[in-house]
Amino acid sequence: MAFAGMFLYAVDLFAQQDKIDVFPAVPYDRFIVYQNLIIFWIGLIGLIIIIKMKLREIERTQRMGIDKEEEDIPLLD
Amino acid sequence: MNCPRLKDWFSERYDLEGMKSFAKHKLVPTHKYEIWYYTGGIALFLFIIQFITGIVLSFYYIPYFEHAHKSIIEIVTKLNMGWFFRSLHHWGAQIAIVVLFIHVWSTLLLKAYRKPREFLWFSGFVLLGISIFFGLSGYLLLWDERAFAAVRVATGGAGNLPVVGGFIKAFLRGGIDVTGDTLTRFYAFHVSVLPLVTLFLIGLHILLVQYHGMSVPLSVKKEERKEIPFFPNLIYKDLIIWLVVLGIVVTLATLMPPEIGKKADPLAPAPENIKPEWYFLFLFQTLKLFPGEIFGLNGETIAILLISAGIFFFFLIPFFDTKSQRGEKSPLFTWIGVVYFLYFVIMTVVGFIS
Repeated sequence: MAFAGMFLYAVDLFAQQDKIDVFPAVPYDRFIVYQNLIIFWIGLIGLIIIIKMKLREIERTQRMGIDKEEEDIPLLD
Repeated sequence: MNCPRLKDWFSERYDLEGMKSFAKHKLVPTHKYEIWYYTGGIALFLFIIQFITGIVLSFYYIPYFEHAHKSIIEIVTKLNMGWFFRSLHHWGAQIAIVVLFIHVWSTLLLKAYRKPREFLWFSGFVLLGISIFFGLSGYLLLWDERAFAAVRVATGGAGNLPVVGGFIKAFLRGGIDVTGDTLTRFYAFHVSVLPLVTLFLIGLHILLVQYHGMSVPLSVKKEERKEIPFFPNLIYKDLIIWLVVLGIVVTLATLMPPEIGKKADPLAPAPENIKPEWYFLFLFQTLKLFPGEIFGLNGETIAILLISAGIFFFFLIPFFDTKSQRGEKSPLFTWIGVVYFLYFVIMTVVGFIS
C-alpha cells in the first residue's frame, strides 16, 4: 500500500515536471493574488459608481440648461 | 491643480481656448443603436493595453530560437508579476479580436460604411487583418510545439495561393520551412512593422471619424435623433465601459493564464489534434470540407481561392451596396452580413468541438 502510494507520488511528480507553472505555485502567493483581484474589483466598482454619479449630475445640469454661460452677464469690474 | 503661469505659457503658443471650444461643441448622435458606437472605443483601449504590456514583455523576451522558449518561462516563473503581464497580453489580444469582429459586423449591419465613409470601412478592415496577423506572429514567439505546428500550417496554407502563394510563403517563413529565421522575422513584424502600420491606421481611422462624424443608421428617423456633447457625456460613458473591460481582462488573466507547451522541435512530428487559434478555426474547418482533388485541380488551392474571394467581396461591400450609397435601405446586404456571421460562428464552433 505504502509502495503504491510512493509510486503514485513519483508518477505525479514526474508528470508535474512537464507542465510549466504559469501561475504562482505557493498557496500563500495564490491567496495574495486572489485577494488583490477582489480588492481591484471593489476599487473598480467604486470608481464606476463615482463616474456614474458625476455623469448623472452633468445630465441634470444640462436638462436644467444651467451648464451654458449667459452671454450678456453683467460683470462687476 | 491650477497653474496659471503654465496655462499662459501654453496659451501664448497654442490655441487652447479654440481646442476647448471644439471639445465642448462637438456633438454625437444618440439613438437606440448607440451601444455599437462604444465597440470602437473598446478596441482602441485594448490596443493601448496591448502596447503597454507588449513593451514590458519585450524588455525580457529573447527573439532567438535557442532562447525564446526559455526566456518566456523565465518571464513567467522568475520575474515579479511576469506571469500576469504575459497573461494580460494574451487575453487582451483575444478580447481585442472579438471586439474588432463585433465592430466590423455592427458597421456592416448598420450600413455605416455607406457614402461618404468608405475609407473608414477600408481602414477598419485592414486593422482587423493586421490584428489577426499580430495574433499569428505573437503566437510563434512562444516557440512551443503547438505554435510551431500552427504557423507551419498557416504559412503552408498561404503557399497554396496560385502565382503569389510561393512568394508569400517564402517571405513569411524566411526560407523553405519554419525555422529560427521565421521566429526573428515574426518578431520584427510583431514589435516594429505591425505596430507602426497600426498606429498610422488608427490615426487615420480616428481622423476620418472626426471628419465625417458618427454614422446614423437609415432606420433611425430624423425626429428620433438627438445629440449629446462628446465631452463630457460620451467620454464618461466610454470611461465606464473601459473600466468594465479592464476588469474582465484582468480577471481572465488572473484566473486563466495561458499554458506553455514543450519547446518546438522542427524534426519532431506535429502534436495530435493540432488546432489553430480560434479566429483561424473557420478557415481551418472550411479547408477540411474540400476534397484533395476537384476536377484534377488541387482542392486546397480551390478552397483558398474561394475563401480569398469571399473576404475580398466583404472588403469591397461599400462599392457593391449601391442602394445604401443612395441613402436607401438595402436588406440584401443585411442578409449577406448575417450569412457571413452565421458561417463564421458555426464553422468556429464546429472546429472547436471536432
